[in-house]
Amino acid sequence: MTSPAVAVEISEATPYVSREPELIARVVAGDRLAARELYDAHAPRVFRLAFRLTGESELARELTQETFIRAFAQLGRFRGESALSTWLHRVTISVVSNAMRKVKRFRARETDLDEATSMAVETRRADPDLRDKLHRAIDELPEIYRTTLVMHDVEGYTHEEIANVLGVAEGTCKSRLSVARAQLREKLAPFAKEWLE
Amino acid sequence: MKQEDDRLPEALRVAARDYNEPPELSHSDLDDMWSAIEKDAFPKRFSSPSAPRAESREPRAQSRFSTRNLLPLAAVLLLGVAIGRFGLPRKQQALPSVAVRPAGGDSVAVPEPYQTTTSQYLGRTAALLVSLPSEVHSGRADDLLLGRAHDLLLTTRLLLDSPAASDPRFRNLLEDLELVLAQVVRLQADQGKGELDLIRQALDQRDVLPRLRSAVADISADD
Repeated sequence: MTSPAVAVEISEATPYVSREPELIARVVAGDRLAARELYDAHAPRVFRLAFRLTGESELARELTQETFIRAFAQLGRFRGESALSTWLHRVTISVVSNAMRKVKRFRARETDLDEATSMAVETRRADPDLRDKLHRAIDELPEIYRTTLVMHDVEGYTHEEIANVLGVAEGTCKSRLSVARAQLREKLAPFAKEWLE
Repeated sequence: MKQEDDRLPEALRVAARDYNEPPELSHSDLDDMWSAIEKDAFPKRFSSPSAPRAESREPRAQSRFSTRNLLPLAAVLLLGVAIGRFGLPRKQQALPSVAVRPAGGDSVAVPEPYQTTTSQYLGRTAALLVSLPSEVHSGRADDLLLGRAHDLLLTTRLLLDSPAASDPRFRNLLEDLELVLAQVVRLQADQGKGELDLIRQALDQRDVLPRLRSAVADISADD
């Protein structure tokens, strides 16, 4: 007699990876079921990357949605020259970068308006700990350096992966990471000498 | 990976890993995002008869069926599957399934690209409905089981919108399974003791689980 447990194991017997090319072809033909499978396989990582770069759950969700909407629309152009995950992360970075530019412009206007009051409050606050200072320093990095640092030092992508996602040479990627780290050291130097030694 | 000379000190590297630490996504988070994606990327779906996603917690089943007759329907459907009405090719011969039978004259036609998915879906659905009575009987309808029901309901609706449902008999089965699974999923939203009691009563009165196990045993013997 077949137990329910065995039946469940059966259902997970076919590995996703070997089915990915077939799923891509089906999505291009308009198959929602295949699209959902691709989404299930990749959405958590896409959301993770979007969240790391935005720091806001709702925004990261919206950008994840936008990434998949754009990816499904453009999937017919995917030639399989890189892994699908690399291609999807490239779309993610593009979507996030566009969104962050708008968000930063919006926040800059808000900061101008609130500058007087917020600065007064800031001076009365106790200093945040070094972790917060580090995170703020990462926030303030120029976008290309921040993206590279987050992908490499925070999310653990390799230089090769980052280079493929960003469409740059590996050397460029290493150079950007080096600059990002140098800027962090410089910004944190006044606060945490012991951290930097 | 090559070690860089300019690596940040350990303390900073550890602290950096907490930068914008993402929350874990739940099934429901993923489903919500998927609904928005699907609506935009595959708009035709929402003109189909298989229900908008927004109604997933208020299934159309409610107006047509009560809990009392849905569970016997589930049993009948599963037994229907078990006695060989579904002629999906068995690509995974070494792995027995409760839901798939060798092709027969009265088999439904499922297009080849969907056969694996459909076979897996039927196996999962059978497994869930077999385990449901004991879960309900013991008063446990835990998140894992109900999460599986939610996933299966989603897959049912996706299959309904795909060429896999082009065969009218298979479409009918999918629609009935949609009703059953929608009722199971609703347990999660309601957490109503009355609902659980009704289900338990219906299952006990009709002796569903032992009958289903007998059918599964018969099929295994046929193989």
